[in-house]
Parts: sequence; structure tokens; C-alpha cells
Amino acid sequence: MALDFSGLLLLDGASGTMYQQQGLKPGELPEMLNLQRPELVERVARAYVEAGSQVICTNTFGVNRRKLAGSGHRVSEVVLAAVTIARRAAGDSARVALDVGPLGELLEPMGSLTFEAAYDLFAEVMEAGERAGADLILIETMTDLYETRAALLAAKERTSLPVLVSMSFDETGRTFTGCTVASMARTLEGLGADAVGVNCSVGPDSLRDIIAEMSRATRLPIIAKPNAGLPDPSDGHYSLGAEDFARAMARLVEAGATIIGGCCGTSPDYIRALRAAVKGMGPAPRHYEAISFVCTPTLPLPITGVRPIGERINPTGKKRLQQALLAGDLDYVTGLALQQKDAGAAILDVNVGYPGVDEVALLPRVVKHLQAVIDLPLQLDSVNPDALEAALRVYNGKPAVNSVNGDEKNMARILPLVKKYGAAVVGLAMDEKGLPASCGERLDIARRILERARACGIPKEDVWIDCLTLTVSAQQKQAAETLEALRRVREELGLQTVLGVSNISFGLPNRVLMTQTFLTQAMAAGLTLPIINPNQREIMDAIAAHRVLSGEDVDSRDYVARFATAPGEPKAAATAPAAATMTLREAIIRGLRAEAGALAKAALGTVSGLALVEEQLIPALDQVGADYERGAVFLPQLLSAAQAAQAVFAEVKEAMTSGGDRPVVRGRLILATVRGDIHDIGKNIVKTVLENYGYEVLDLGRDVPPETIAETAVREGIRLVGLSALMTTTLPAMEETVRLLRQLPEPPVTLVGGAVVTEEYARRMGADYYAKDARAAVEVARRVFG
Amino acid sequence: MATVVDEALRYLGAAGAGGQLRQDMAELAEMLGETCAPRHVYREATVRRKAEGVWLEEAGLLLTGRTAAVMLESSDRAAVLVCTLGARFDALLRQWQARDMARAVMLDACGSAWVEAGCDAAEETIRAAHPGLYLTDRFSPGYGDLPLELQPGLLAFTDAGRRLGVTASGSLLMNPVKTVTAVIGLSGTMQRARIRGCEGCMMKARCALRKRGDSCGT
Repeated sequence: MALDFSGLLLLDGASGTMYQQQGLKPGELPEMLNLQRPELVERVARAYVEAGSQVICTNTFGVNRRKLAGSGHRVSEVVLAAVTIARRAAGDSARVALDVGPLGELLEPMGSLTFEAAYDLFAEVMEAGERAGADLILIETMTDLYETRAALLAAKERTSLPVLVSMSFDETGRTFTGCTVASMARTLEGLGADAVGVNCSVGPDSLRDIIAEMSRATRLPIIAKPNAGLPDPSDGHYSLGAEDFARAMARLVEAGATIIGGCCGTSPDYIRALRAAVKGMGPAPRHYEAISFVCTPTLPLPITGVRPIGERINPTGKKRLQQALLAGDLDYVTGLALQQKDAGAAILDVNVGYPGVDEVALLPRVVKHLQAVIDLPLQLDSVNPDALEAALRVYNGKPAVNSVNGDEKNMARILPLVKKYGAAVVGLAMDEKGLPASCGERLDIARRILERARACGIPKEDVWIDCLTLTVSAQQKQAAETLEALRRVREELGLQTVLGVSNISFGLPNRVLMTQTFLTQAMAAGLTLPIINPNQREIMDAIAAHRVLSGEDVDSRDYVARFATAPGEPKAAATAPAAATMTLREAIIRGLRAEAGALAKAALGTVSGLALVEEQLIPALDQVGADYERGAVFLPQLLSAAQAAQAVFAEVKEAMTSGGDRPVVRGRLILATVRGDIHDIGKNIVKTVLENYGYEVLDLGRDVPPETIAETAVREGIRLVGLSALMTTTLPAMEETVRLLRQLPEPPVTLVGGAVVTEEYARRMGADYYAKDARAAVEVARRVFG
Repeated sequence: MATVVDEALRYLGAAGAGGQLRQDMAELAEMLGETCAPRHVYREATVRRKAEGVWLEEAGLLLTGRTAAVMLESSDRAAVLVCTLGARFDALLRQWQARDMARAVMLDACGSAWVEAGCDAAEETIRAAHPGLYLTDRFSPGYGDLPLELQPGLLAFTDAGRRLGVTASGSLLMNPVKTVTAVIGLSGTMQRARIRGCEGCMMKARCALRKRGDSCGT
């Protein structure tokens, strides 16, 4: 019989506590009991079946290859034993769920496990579970949406079993990593989960609001499997008794939960009481909100008004970005992203297509890099379906895809990807014949895209239509056609609309005014997702004004706040007078980024980039460095000066790039935090300071294996390698790296530092230099590069 | 809050600094208090003194070395405490490192001060649960000769993975970054041995603050 999720379904309760009562020692892997004491595991499982559990979980919560390493047992062996035991206990009265918990090791960017490695670890368990005869999979107690996605993808791609997914939310409605209920429910439903819910965390009393919120965010059945309250610190006993637990659980059923059971602190008695408490109850009415939505784990974004999409991460016509993408300088891309976020973008479009760039490799890399630091949802933009799929796989949340068009072949390639990964999609109102001139034909294409999307199982609210902007100076009548098409897509199809507006003003004077006016008209016609440059103040002003007029900005609060600080005055002008009376040297010393940048830009009219660096920038940094040495300024001020210097360097680079010169580089070096060490703030401090002395830093990141460092040093012909270690436990890895580097045919100079490293340690491990701080590292670089 | 600011400035080697630096730090401290307030869990265990060390019975953990023996010499029970600012602090720190390193190092120092303040508050909770008993100073793996290898066991005993989202990596780094584990003895008599000061600290030989004649205050 197929599993039926349409009514209430009773799961089991805790097993770990029961194993402990029967002799499992702290620190022992409970999963080993499957092999060592199968009768004990079966007894616990049977007690749940007798109590009324319709689904029981296998004793496999912590099973994966890494955790079993050293146990002498394989994943397949433990899983087979566990499923066999559960099957025996279940008989014909219950179904068996393969229980899958967190890997116990954190994924990037919190830890160093890659998404791909996590997927592989999960896949092995899932496949073993299906082979062993499990009826379904329960992924539970997850706190990281990224890890949850890896597990769910592995279950969906490697098995044909139904998959229930549950995360642990605290009373604030977030997981420990900050994931919201809406982000979780909508992302996982999109990825094809069969049910979503909450387990572990706190007691059932605190979960009512979370279940209610979840019932608005998903059409799927909802799981509730909470703890029996909180444990008493003095004896570890949980606070809620079986009856109280069952009563509170009945209220969760009223709020929308249908797949119910217990977690830590519960026992078969709790399940028996629960069965009695919900007797006669059925599924509560649901209140799903079918809204357009994209998200990251921490930032859910319902599209309920105008949401500007930042267009700056697109190399077309941007030399500096082209250069950065070719060189793999992803920090530059992050900088563009942060700038747009600060300027008010709600979503960021990400396009890395450029001749010489391998988009299939680079787009997912950029996505990973961006989502490590920025919480805005992304719109993945490529004409290459393979690049889109690679990026969709690693995106953490629900993204948008830009784009599909009305060409049948294109739709057949793109729409299944959008469906599989649960994304929203931008449909261009054009096809293989190009962009139709009339509004009616564009509407027809939009309608076709919507039909095909729905046939693929993509809900209507996830289809966004772009009616396309043509340049008004070339095709004047088209502006009106675009606006009319947009209005009809909104009114007749009821879809979200996307539009890249800046193209309208190409070739005209005062472009900003034209773009702003067109944007205003488009928003009035129903545009909700304008693709714009948020750094253009006038454009964001128009959006702020529209939000007041549309009623979205209640009591004009945001509008007033936006203009209260600088009435009518652009911000840049406010800093100009200060800059006029200040020297570049002063601006750097005082750590004033904007002023230093502006002064450098002005100076570059008369002075060469190299002279500016040698004669003004370096002496200023040296003075701050000397002040730092004698304790007159502190680390934050040293870094502020370094960052002001960065603004100067940015101007110098810009000037040299447009002049066709090569950028100033005083020497290239590697910086890395050694294997096992995942905290890298120390290395980043050194990087900031070195870069602003004009050194090019190849930042290999953290937790870097010795081999990677040696290989990079050889491949790039590096003369100086800087290594950082924070923990005594990772000093051996530092030593190993130094040893490996010294064995190279042309050994680079090695420089070591970090919280636990001393001059003496450095000497003992054979490093050439020790630096106690970033200042000292600059001195070493000077000695090496002259 | 003032203590958090003072402590954070001290970690940066800027004890007593005023002006803009102090003002910025105060703003950061307030922001952290709102977004990443420290959370803790603790659990108690029975203390048994054995030849090879101090045995925490319910935890199944042996605390070897002199630090544990001295600190727990008059305690029959001990609390294992885990306190953390959570993963959202790490996310903030990543963001500020990309944005502004100067602010990132201030945030880092401020986070350290906050998690210590969180431990102080947790101690008050433990004290309130045991009227009439004295608490020893808290001491942590890596301090004195208490082995770092205890971290996973302390986390398992308090169920800190499930209850706080805290894990220890293979090289025993705590994640989230601002996490403290500690052992606190519960005793019927006032504890003489103190943990404050540099004497027992594993960083004693190489501490940058100490070289300047300062201390981190713990």
C-alpha cells in the first residue's frame, strides 16, 4: 500500500534516551547497537509499534561514512542491520522510515565541508536505505538549510522513496543558523519534499506559531515531532509529562500539523497518550498563501510590491569586472554585491558570461562566494543551461532564473530545471523569431510560456514575464508597446513583471532622467521587478516615491527617512568640502575611504599611478604603521587606513585599466590558513594590510591542505608564502606545510603567524620568518620583494 | 553593556580608549546584544576523584591534569556549561570582513566580550539554582592542563549540538566561533584556588596583551 499523507499519521518518539536507560554509555555511537545488540533496538521499536506508531524510524540518525570511520563497519552494513530490525518490529502494523540526521560536520561557509561532499555522504546512506527496504526517508533535526538541501537532493536523485524533511526551530521562529520558517518550507517544497516540519528544538507549547506560519508557507503535509519540553540541568529529565505533551500536540494538529510524534525526552507512553489525544481529529483547514517568493535562508522575500533587482554583476561593458572574472577575483564581485545591497537592491542578478570565462564552473563558484557574505536572494542569469543547472544546484534557498523564452526548444531545456530546483523563472516575451513588434504578440508568447511552465508543474506565481525594453531613440513607438504589453501581462495573466529599464535611454543625453521617467511609467503600468542600477540615486528615488503612491510605504515612513538626512543634496556633495581642505595623506591616515578615493581620482589627472602610490600612499601607511607600533593608534585604525588606501588603489587600477597599463604590483604572494583551521580573521587582517601596500595576495582561504599550497606556489611561481594557524591542534599542519614547501626545487620564502605561533616555534618548524602582526608581515614582504 | 565595551577594547589592546573608537564599539555591542545575544545550556554531573583524574560520572568524562584536580578538590558536583553567540554572529563577521576589516576586528573583539558576559550570566543562573553552595571559577579545555580533547565530550553531555547548534571540528575548533565550554565546580565550601590571571593560561608564553603588560582580564 502506498503511504497516505492525507490524514493524521503517527510517528514514533525518542530512542536514544531509551537505549541509555538500557545500558548505552555516553560517547558510544547508538548506531553500533544495530550490530551489537539488535534485540535492544528491536525492543524499543516494537514498543513504539505497540503504542500506535504508524511509522517507526530506523536507528540511523548519525550514520555516515565519516562518523563510522574507525568503527570497522560500513554504512551499507549498519543501515541494512537497522532497516532489518525496524522491519521486524514493524511487521504489518507500521512503515519503516530511514532516519537521517545532520552530518555532524558543518558545511561551507560555516565549516569546511563542501556541498558536493555533503551530498555524497548523504547519497550513500539514502541508497543503502532503499536497498535495505525502507519505505520512506525522514531527514530530521537539521539546522542548516544548505545541508538539508544536500540531503533532500540526494534522497530525490538517488532513491524513489517519499521524503519527509524536518528542521529544528527555536521559539524565535528561526533555526540556529538563522533559517526562517518561510525560507525552509518554500525552498524544500520547491525541491520536491513530500512533507516538511519541525522536530526537536523546544516543547510543543512553543511551536504553535511556527506550525501556523508553516501552514501558510506550504501546501505540503506538516510534521511536528518536538521534545518533551526542556531537560532539567540537574538530572537530564524533560519537563513535560506524557499527558501534557499530548494535549499540547493536539493544539499543533489544530494549527495544521498532521504527521506527529515526539523527539528527545519522549517514550512509547507519550505516543500512546498522543494517539488518545488526537483520536477523532482530522487535518485542520489550511491557509496556504500562493505568493511569488524568492529567498536565502535568513531572508525570505515575498514579492508583494516593487522589488528592485540590481544589475551590476554583469560583465557586458564593464572592463574592471571582466578583468576580475578572468582573474577569478571574486572579492571584487562581492564588493559589487555589497554596494548594491547598501543602495537598496532587493534581489541581485548574477551574470558572469564573458569570452574566456568557463561559465559552468564560474557561475556556481560566484554563487557560493556571494551567499557566504550576502543575504539577498539571487537571480541566476545565463544563456547556458549547464551553467544555470550548476548554479541552481549550489544555491542556498529559492532563486530566480534569468531566463527562458518562447522558443519551444529553449523551454524544453530550461523549464524542467526550474521545476526540479524549485526556482522562479523570468520568461522573455520573445522566441526564435525574435522580439515581436506588437504588444498582442508579446502577450501570446507570455501566455505560451506560462502554459508550458504549468505543464511542467511550475506554479503560476513562479513565472515572471519580461516584456523587453527597446531603445527609444532608435524605435520610438516601441516604448508604448512595451508598457502596454506589461500592463496586459499584469491584468490578463496576473503575473509578476520584470523589465531591464536602462536600455530605454541609450544614445540620449541626460540618460538618468529618461530612464527614471520610463521606470515611473512602467511601475504605474504594473512593473514589480525592475532590473536597475541601484547605485543611481534618481532611480531608487523614483522607486521610493512609487511605493508611497501605491500605498506600500505606509505613512511615507521610508520615503521620509530616505530624504530626511540629506534634503535635496546628493550625498557625494556633502563630503566634497571636507575633501577640498584635506591632503591625500591625511585622508589615508584618518581612514576616510570616500575622501581618499576622491582625492586620488583628482590627483591622477596630473600624477602617474605609480608616483601616487610610492610618494603619497606608502608614506601615509608607514606613518600609521609606526603610530600603531608605539600604541598611539589601534588595530581598527590601522585597518581603516589600509582600507582608505584600498580606495586609492581602486582608483589607480581603474585609471591604469582604462589607460591600458598593467596594474601596479609590488610582488605576488600566497596567504592561507592551514589545514584544520577554519577561523581566518587573522589571515584576512594581514591580507588587507598587504594588499594596500600594493602586494598581490593569492588568498587560498582556510583549511588549506599543504599540497594545495605547494602546488599553487609552483604553478604561480610564488616567492613568498604566508601561513596562519590559530590552534595548537593545527600547528602540526603548519609544520607539514613548511616542510613540503622547503622540499620544492625552488622553495619559496615562508612566513608564519597566528595566535599560537611564536618566534621560537617558527624557528623550530623551519619557517624563514615569523610575523607577530600585519605590520610585521609588511616588513617581511619588503625584505623579500625589495 | 559598559563592561562588554571595556572588555572588547581591552582585547584589542586599546583599554581605556575613548573617542570614536569607544563610541563605535558601544554601537557594535548594542547591535550584537539585539541580534546575537548569548545563549547557554548547562548540565550537572557527579564528581568522583580517581587516581587518574576527576571523573564526571553522568558525562562519562575523565578530566585529567592538575587544573581539574585543584579546581574541583572540594566539589561533589560540577556543572558543564556551553555558551554561544550562535551562527548568526559568524555570518555577520563574514559580511564585515568583506565590507570593512577595521569594523570586523572590532566585531570580533566585541563578540568575545559578549560570550564571556553570557558565561557570567549563566553562572548567576546556576548560582540561583543552588542556594547555599559556592561556585568555583569556571575553567575550560585548553586552560592550564585541561585537555582540548574534552570538547566533543562536553558538547555531547550537554547535547549542545541539538540545543545550541554547537559543534567541534576534527581539529577541536568550536563552531560557531564565539562559543565557550567550561566546567564549574559546586561546593559546600568557598573555593580557594582561583583561575583568574595569566598563571594557568595556555597562551601565557605568547599572549600579545601580556607582552604589552596588559591582560585579557580573565
